Amino acid sequence: MIGNRTAIGVVLLAAAAAAWSIGTSAQGRTATSPDISGYWELPIDGRHIPPARLASRVTPAMLRAEAAKSAKAIRWCNWVGMPTTMDVGRPLDIRQGTREIMILAESPLTPVRHLYLNRTAHISNDIFDLTTSGDSIARWDGETLTVDTTGFEPTHGVTTIPGGGFRTATSHLVERYRLLKNGAMLSVTFTWTDPAVFAMPHSYEFRYQRVERGYEPRPYGRCDPFDADRAAFFDAAR
Amino acid sequence: MLFAVCATGCSAPQATAQRGTQAASTTVPDLSGGWLRLDSEGSGSFDGTAQKFPPAALTPAGQAMVVRGDGRNVTPNGGNTTPHQAGEPYIVNNGACTAEGTGGSAIDPNSTAIFLLQSKDEVLMVREGPGGRHIHMDGRGHPDLTKLTPTLYGHSIGHYQGGALVVDTIGLPEGNVQGGGRRRPETRLTERFELAPDGKRLTITYTWDDPVLYVRPHTYQYFFERLPPESYAFETWCDSSDPTQRQSVVPPKQ
Repeated sequence: MIGNRTAIGVVLLAAAAAAWSIGTSAQGRTATSPDISGYWELPIDGRHIPPARLASRVTPAMLRAEAAKSAKAIRWCNWVGMPTTMDVGRPLDIRQGTREIMILAESPLTPVRHLYLNRTAHISNDIFDLTTSGDSIARWDGETLTVDTTGFEPTHGVTTIPGGGFRTATSHLVERYRLLKNGAMLSVTFTWTDPAVFAMPHSYEFRYQRVERGYEPRPYGRCDPFDADRAAFFDAAR
Repeated sequence: MLFAVCATGCSAPQATAQRGTQAASTTVPDLSGGWLRLDSEGSGSFDGTAQKFPPAALTPAGQAMVVRGDGRNVTPNGGNTTPHQAGEPYIVNNGACTAEGTGGSAIDPNSTAIFLLQSKDEVLMVREGPGGRHIHMDGRGHPDLTKLTPTLYGHSIGHYQGGALVVDTIGLPEGNVQGGGRRRPETRLTERFELAPDGKRLTITYTWDDPVLYVRPHTYQYFFERLPPESYAFETWCDSSDPTQRQSVVPPKQ
């Protein structure tokens, strides 16, 4: 508690931000951690995706099966999950709290990501039901937010990974978030490890641009799984 | 314009919003975390709880309003218009899993938990699936209704007032409201999020106001219990290609 009983008077919006900062510090956020809250958009030149080196056990038939599984998820407007949540073609709303960071994509098909700052271990496999987003724990290492995710559901949603490969129940994803260009850009490096899929850890980087203040999230695009014309269009391309 | 005032007697966490010409000192309540709705009336079901809300006082226009629904529910009242035998499944919706297919509950918490996250410019309110509400806290107003596409989340702006989070929403599509109410894009929903002194209970007071639809504002409350700090959000799963997605829970034969 601050206990400041001095009458200060009226100040402008910047002071409201300061008051918020005091409040959140009182709730436990470290004063030195960057704040990545905001709307972030992935531009056309924001992807650096080297090809993955796949494990020898991964056959073309397995890759075709994963591609078909992912196509089915989109065809039926099912929830896509990770890693697609981070690249849906529209801005991400990232909000940082003291207990967790939420990532809400502007899509009707992407479950909300919860990156938990208040624990250092994953939920036990005995009780965690695998999900398309997995179980994410996060910590700040100086200026870098490190997010560690396990517990991926291998059959639901879009399982394919940029650069090659696919997620399985044994996938392990480590993301590193860093603000660049004085906070105007957010770099996220994704590293997937999974001996069932990759011969070596597979890394790629997305660089998001901060969307201007006052941005209004647009209504989610409608996805109707029972639109026959849409289904025919989609299926014809497969 | 949003102003900040720290008047005599403030204690942190502290922020004060001035909207229009009225200023009031306001403590920012710690609403962030998971919340589970309670059957506070002991009604045995949320529908039973809703039946105990004060009935909406509708104008003739409100009474005459025909709600077409959102296209997902294929039978009135979720298929509950006729009795069903134990073991008899029945079709309740068209099986779509998308957020716009949730029957208007995007702003109406049900038995799944809600999760709130407060940041400086925005409060996020999400559930255990896709989508969520962006409650803008940066002092902006609502867009012109003529330029606003109605959505099941509407357009929400919020501020802190008297230790509560007050959220103002317009732009919801035509639909039903608990307690026999109605809504349309012009209808204004005010939600007041108030914490109990121990921080473990949350009350949301809903007030629907629209002089075309209501004789007087229609108000009711939901009550929530804070989830333990170590709890986490589930991710529900739904497959639109699964025909059983359309049907009710199958009650077991006795």
